[in-house]
Amino acid sequence: MILSSLITYPQAIVLGLLQGVTELFPVSSLGHAVILPSLLGWNIHQNDTYFLSFLVATHLATAIVLLLFFWRDWVRIVKGLGRSLRDRGIAPDDADAKLAWLLIVGTIPAGILGIALEDKLRHVFASPKSASFFLILNGFMLFGAELLRRRAPVHEEGGDPDARIAGEMGWKGATGVGSAQAVALIPGFSRSGASMAGGLLVGLSNEDAARYAFLLATPIIGAAALLKLPDLAGTSGNGVRGQALVASLCAAATAYLSVRFLMRFFETNRLTPFAVYCVAAGTACLIYFLS
Amino acid sequence: MKKHPALIIPAVVLGLVLIAIGIVYWVEPARSLPGFFPGQAAHSSTHHLKHGIAAFLLGLACLAFAWFQTGGDKVKPQAQ
Repeated sequence: MILSSLITYPQAIVLGLLQGVTELFPVSSLGHAVILPSLLGWNIHQNDTYFLSFLVATHLATAIVLLLFFWRDWVRIVKGLGRSLRDRGIAPDDADAKLAWLLIVGTIPAGILGIALEDKLRHVFASPKSASFFLILNGFMLFGAELLRRRAPVHEEGGDPDARIAGEMGWKGATGVGSAQAVALIPGFSRSGASMAGGLLVGLSNEDAARYAFLLATPIIGAAALLKLPDLAGTSGNGVRGQALVASLCAAATAYLSVRFLMRFFETNRLTPFAVYCVAAGTACLIYFLS
Repeated sequence: MKKHPALIIPAVVLGLVLIAIGIVYWVEPARSLPGFFPGQAAHSSTHHLKHGIAAFLLGLACLAFAWFQTGGDKVKPQAQ
């Protein structure tokens, strides 16, 4: 096998740019990573070890961007966690402590389900046809969340979003939203979409649901990437490390622009445009792959 | 949050057991794991790193739960 031909640099740039956008937009990065190479006729497959190693770098870049974007929030959240441990309880007005534990409670089921199911689901559903089909279902999931949502609370302009999230979301809701992320192990379903949909169903506004989804995604994406980083350093990373570095820089750039755009977008908009995109793109791709 | 002092000892014991299980997964290859452990395989030299992480994190969660149960019923608001 000629290692230098595994992933070319132009392909790495496209895949990096795509990863940064689709990881945060509720449209499934995994689904796009399966569908796009097939659409463009690239000889890249989701389950190839070198491709998995390549994706590790782009995921890590996305997680670092999220961490830096919400850095001040994370500092407050970690301080809140420390206060709650010191006091052996959460003060009723300590939104940072409550949010810290909501994120922990949400991350545990997502992490365990991810560890248990990731390899199996990836191997079973990693075809472009199934990814297209599940992309359509992801669209309906987003539609459904908007339809079934509890009435979003009206909040004053400039209020503390973390206080709103901590006030609105309970432990069951956090567990449910965290568990819902497991659906994103199936290529075509979106992790951020599942989190945002779950946030809407427990009564968060679109803006707060997006914020909570990004905060919740950071430890999961970062931990999953760090766990697999040795693969990139090992033999399965041979021939793709340079491309992975380029792709991760591209992913970091688009991830930053995406999170900045989405935080403003959801101040006034809903998930509906992404639902329409998923149904339309999934249907078009499914027809293409079946024909 | 309502406290349940009776759950402190079971949570600590469960937490320590889960952390021990996590360490066993990290240290022992799949062939050396006890038969009732998920992932045990007679001829495999693989270490189930992910199983270990899951068990370890669950153990930490149990210890954190126990720690919170040892506190008073109400924590003073920050503002006071």
